[in-house]
Amino acid sequence: MKNYDKLLHDLAPQKFGKKGVIWTISLVVLIVLGIIAYIDQIIRGQMVTNMNDYALWGVYISNFVFFVATSFVGTVTVAILRLTKNTWRTPIVRIAEIISVAAIIMAGITITIDMGRPDRLLNLFIHGRMQSPITWDVIIIPTYIMISLLLLYFPLLPDFGLLNKHYKDQKPTLSKWYGKLSMNWTGSEAQKEIQLKSIKIIAILIIPAGFMLQTIDAWLFSTLFRVGWDSTNMGGYFISGAAVAGVGALVAVTYVLQKVYKLEDYITDLHFDKLGKFLVLVCLIYLYFNLNEYLIPQLTSKKEATTHINVLMEGQFAPLFWFVIIGGLIIPVIVLLFKQGRKPLPMFLIGLLVVTGSWWKRYLIVTPTLLHPFLPIQGVPEEWRHYFPSLHEWAITIATLAMALLIITILVRYVPIIPIQRTADEQKELELQLNKNTTK
Amino acid sequence: MINPLITRHFFLVVLSVFLCTSTFAQDKVRLKANYVKIMNSEVYFDLQATAKVDGENVNVPKVELLIFNIVDDEQLELGKVTTNAGGKARFTLKDLSSIKPDSTNTYNVEVSFAGNDAFSDASKSISFKDAAIEAKLITIDSVNYVTATLTDKSTDSLIIGQSLKVQIQRLFKNLPIGEEFNETDEDGTILVSIPEGIPGVDGILAIEVILNESDEFGTVKTIVKAPFGKPVVDESTFDERTMWSPRNKTPLFLLIFPNLLTFAMWGIIIYLITNLFKITKS
Repeated sequence: MKNYDKLLHDLAPQKFGKKGVIWTISLVVLIVLGIIAYIDQIIRGQMVTNMNDYALWGVYISNFVFFVATSFVGTVTVAILRLTKNTWRTPIVRIAEIISVAAIIMAGITITIDMGRPDRLLNLFIHGRMQSPITWDVIIIPTYIMISLLLLYFPLLPDFGLLNKHYKDQKPTLSKWYGKLSMNWTGSEAQKEIQLKSIKIIAILIIPAGFMLQTIDAWLFSTLFRVGWDSTNMGGYFISGAAVAGVGALVAVTYVLQKVYKLEDYITDLHFDKLGKFLVLVCLIYLYFNLNEYLIPQLTSKKEATTHINVLMEGQFAPLFWFVIIGGLIIPVIVLLFKQGRKPLPMFLIGLLVVTGSWWKRYLIVTPTLLHPFLPIQGVPEEWRHYFPSLHEWAITIATLAMALLIITILVRYVPIIPIQRTADEQKELELQLNKNTTK
Repeated sequence: MINPLITRHFFLVVLSVFLCTSTFAQDKVRLKANYVKIMNSEVYFDLQATAKVDGENVNVPKVELLIFNIVDDEQLELGKVTTNAGGKARFTLKDLSSIKPDSTNTYNVEVSFAGNDAFSDASKSISFKDAAIEAKLITIDSVNYVTATLTDKSTDSLIIGQSLKVQIQRLFKNLPIGEEFNETDEDGTILVSIPEGIPGVDGILAIEVILNESDEFGTVKTIVKAPFGKPVVDESTFDERTMWSPRNKTPLFLLIFPNLLTFAMWGIIIYLITNLFKITKS
């Protein structure tokens, strides 16, 4: 029981300190500013954005694709590491699940923000054509939200049960809430059996769901005959890119939580080392797909494709393109190949670099293609050939990012970051093994 | 003391000058008229009103044009038409017998515009004789030809050395066949081979033989339907289940598999939710 007490002391959700409060207020302020900008967008229409006849998808869609990609972290780290029985995953799975839930909820909200008439959202369900990848997207996003929520919730049941008991005397109201959320968890064999079986099903289910989500997202682009999108490479390209964005976000958030909640005993250098190697793997896979995406059109030298790639590599998007490739992929791979590079602080910095690169990568996927019209049109206004988000777009986009961080912050405030019950079970198993070895 | 008579005269002169300049401010309308006869079909006049305004040729829309048949100094009104936004109008006759020729079997038609505030009056006269084209299809040594004979109906004689245009009707622009100038021979006839493999609905080609804007006979056209084309195969997917059809015509595989996947996934989700209730009860 002493073991549990220590774990509960260390891992039970804690009140925000001064920094936590400032952080939360800052996020709320950014969200309020974004909501004001969005209300103005609804009143005045999308004329407040810099989207035009050419750039009809702008930063909102880039941001949507980024959120969808980041939500993939739930699939890669939780499901895949669970099914491959990587025991080191325990302290980081909950963080991955929380990021996944926050990102996919925000993806759903962001796509609605992009709609000129959000009041017609229901029409997507009523009048949707099954031939359109947009309809598939409309189906898969709520499905993935549900699966992500279940993936977060089922493993939480024993922890909620423990917190119910833990706060019974100190905070009865909070204890009552945890009690309700624990679904009367007593830790009985029957409950454990159902819970473990359910977690296994979700872990399997989230893999095809995650792959479908990323592939549908890729097909939103690749089913259009647009230069830069019309590629059979897109499915794998998006999945590997999503893994990079997700693991990058996981590394950055894990470091912050380790430092803020002083979890060095639980989230150790070993975890960062493993995450670092994992990040190198996904970055290399993504680099491979990038090579396919950019090299083949260069070799086949179709005029439009060459123009598009030249714009990326040498033209107006070149600084961003090389930042994404070098900063977001090559530098992380080089740094993380060294053991020192896989220490927490360098990992955090690399994680931030990867996430920033991943965000701008989505901008590069969406915008340059749109600026190359499908049909050559004469007498096009010069401003149509350029796109940079307006103040409204930035305010709304920053608000969505802040909202994702706020969801993570709220969940971190009330949910144990590290699974308490599972950590206790693992420690018990370890002790048993040690005892066995000593007896021998 | 100013003589009132001088004042009155001065006023009249000023008024006259103003009225004159007002009249001179009107732009002059130019009228064009083309006579077109389609064999065994309608006869019409294509009319166009233009004007030079500020040194630029512009079409004159919404002006009323009167059409007269002039027979030995007698003006018989045939009707009136109003120009469209492009300054064009078409006046159709039931057939050529609706108008009378003069003693030389020449038809004289006058188009006139009475003038308005912006444009001065104008008129245009055209004269033409009745001509006819008779076209036939023949096959010589497995080669298909269209042959056409041009006759002057006023004298019932063949027209020799006149150039005729032969073309096949197409959707956007007609396809010329034969030589650039197909001149009628001493029998008033031309012979033009029809190329093989030209697509047509049910293999039917609509071949036009045209005497184009002749000074003497105007435009005369005959259309002959030739079953020498390559039948167009209708590749329309209308009403079929395709990727581009409306939602009620979705391909079956797209209805079955995504719905199957969706129901399977949501079935599992519902099962997992019921597991939560099972946990509560156990």
